[in-house]
Amino acid sequence: MCIGKEIIMNNFITAEGFEKTFRYIKLIEQGIFTTIMLALFTVVIGFILGILLAIMRMTDFRPLRFLAYGKKGRIRNNRALVAISKFNPIAFLATAYVEILRSTPVLVQIMIIYHGVFGKLIEIPSFTMFGFLKSNRFIPGVVALGMNSGAYLCEIIRSGIQSIDGGQTEAARSLGMTKVQTLVHIILPQAIKNILPAIANEFVVIIKESSITYTIGVQDLMFAVTAVQGANYIVMEPLLVATAVYFCLCFPTSKLIAYFERRMSRGDKR
Amino acid sequence: MTNDKLLQIKNLKKYYNKGAIKALDDVSIDIHRGDVMVVIGPSGSGKSTFLRSLNLMEEPTDGQIIFHNIDITKKSFINKAGKKEKVNINLHRQKMGMVFQHFNLFPHKTILQNMILAPVKVLKMPQEQATEKALALLARVGLEDRANAYPIQLSGGQKQRVAIVRALMMEPEVMLFDEPTSALDPEMVGEVLSVMKELANSGMTMVVVTHEMGFAREVGNSMLFMDEGKILEQGDPKELFDNPQHPRLQDFLSKVL
Ligand SMILES: Nc1ncnc2c1ncn2[C@@H]1O[C@H](COP(=O)(O)OP(=O)(O)OP(=O)(O)O)[C@@H](O)[C@H]1O
Ligand SMILES: [Mg+2]
Repeated sequence: MCIGKEIIMNNFITAEGFEKTFRYIKLIEQGIFTTIMLALFTVVIGFILGILLAIMRMTDFRPLRFLAYGKKGRIRNNRALVAISKFNPIAFLATAYVEILRSTPVLVQIMIIYHGVFGKLIEIPSFTMFGFLKSNRFIPGVVALGMNSGAYLCEIIRSGIQSIDGGQTEAARSLGMTKVQTLVHIILPQAIKNILPAIANEFVVIIKESSITYTIGVQDLMFAVTAVQGANYIVMEPLLVATAVYFCLCFPTSKLIAYFERRMSRGDKR
Repeated sequence: MTNDKLLQIKNLKKYYNKGAIKALDDVSIDIHRGDVMVVIGPSGSGKSTFLRSLNLMEEPTDGQIIFHNIDITKKSFINKAGKKEKVNINLHRQKMGMVFQHFNLFPHKTILQNMILAPVKVLKMPQEQATEKALALLARVGLEDRANAYPIQLSGGQKQRVAIVRALMMEPEVMLFDEPTSALDPEMVGEVLSVMKELANSGMTMVVVTHEMGFAREVGNSMLFMDEGKILEQGDPKELFDNPQHPRLQDFLSKVL
């Protein structure tokens, strides 16, 4: 069609451009659906991972503790030994994970997960979900996004847990509740309520950030945009449609969660 | 008072900063069933540390706490069958109720939920039975109509009364109180003290850290005076108040009475 000629993309916004864009409504709908699925799976993976990481960072596991004590159980004077004795490998792993994932671009992480981990180490059975979602692209995308937001949610959850008064733990433990029961029934419900706005914010960030998965060929909304752009040599119209869709997803979501947050906090304030 | 020893504390020590601070410095005392032991002393003398060590909220540096013939400060014990068994501190804590200065009710749960949580989750008591028991206890402290309120809706005195009956839900053998009225407005102190007095009259074993000298004298049947992590004087409260021997106690009483 345009061999030997430079492709001229149309940067103007025209009604015709929108009309062309809406001819691909099926693709755009699939893109919206994919984006929502990406965000939902990501937030679930991220939340579970975040809780796990937060618990890991707060464990009191010190296998080298014995190094600090000399004969008769007295604490040694050797500072280096005392410092080493405080080493907590579980917390160290979680902290390293969180810091590395927060200090590198999510684009790089997605590439590594897609090409490195799922390209070489792990084979994903290739199947299609809902008639168009390709597992060998969707799953790496969700895993990468989930791993990334897990790092952020860990810090949010940890600060939420630490904001709960120590008296709560003492009261629960003095009633004979175990550490786990205390966490599940007393600490987490209060912590999660406190951090709900931050989690909601993270969810909205995930919806927007999921657009990056189009770089590994996940057929999300941005993928639909590039497809329409390429087929029709138009730039702006598909982008504007995508903008409107992203806004319609994110804005009501944050408003909705803010509403529920207000309603929930009404229970114990009055 | 009987001679039945419920808790034996032997040479208990709690050090901070590698021994620079001796919050508990070789404390030994027996607590008998039915005792109402009041603990007095200046600020920083180790009263809270002593009380909180009894249910291992604070891990002692050294010493023994014998409860049901088991030294609960250790990781394991030799059971009746002669086998080594792990000490399950949660099991022992169920038998030691604790009441805090700042109440520590669970703010996300109603009064009723606060009370039935541990019995249901820990003792596996059926929900209906726990509810029935909770309502009866609430009635005993005049709060049956607040069962479905949240802690934030209660006054300080009401919160502390709930905290007491919440601990009683577990049917403890001893109740530990750490300055239960210190965070209360003066007009609410009386209602809490009268609940404690009634509890004492019902035969409950109690250890009470308090600045309420009137209560100590009237309700206590044994008293400890602590200073710098040590028990400096112990005995019958009335005798100690009327005829203090140790100069520090004389000095302390002259300031607070
Ligand atoms: N976590 C801690 N780290 C270091 N020192 C501590 C710690 N907890 C308590 N102490 C010290 O131990 C000593 C005893 O404290 P404790 O709280 O038992 O006193 P108290 O008699 O209850 O005082 P108050 O009447 O003020 O409540 C004090 O010198 C205190 O500073
Ligand atoms: Mg104290």
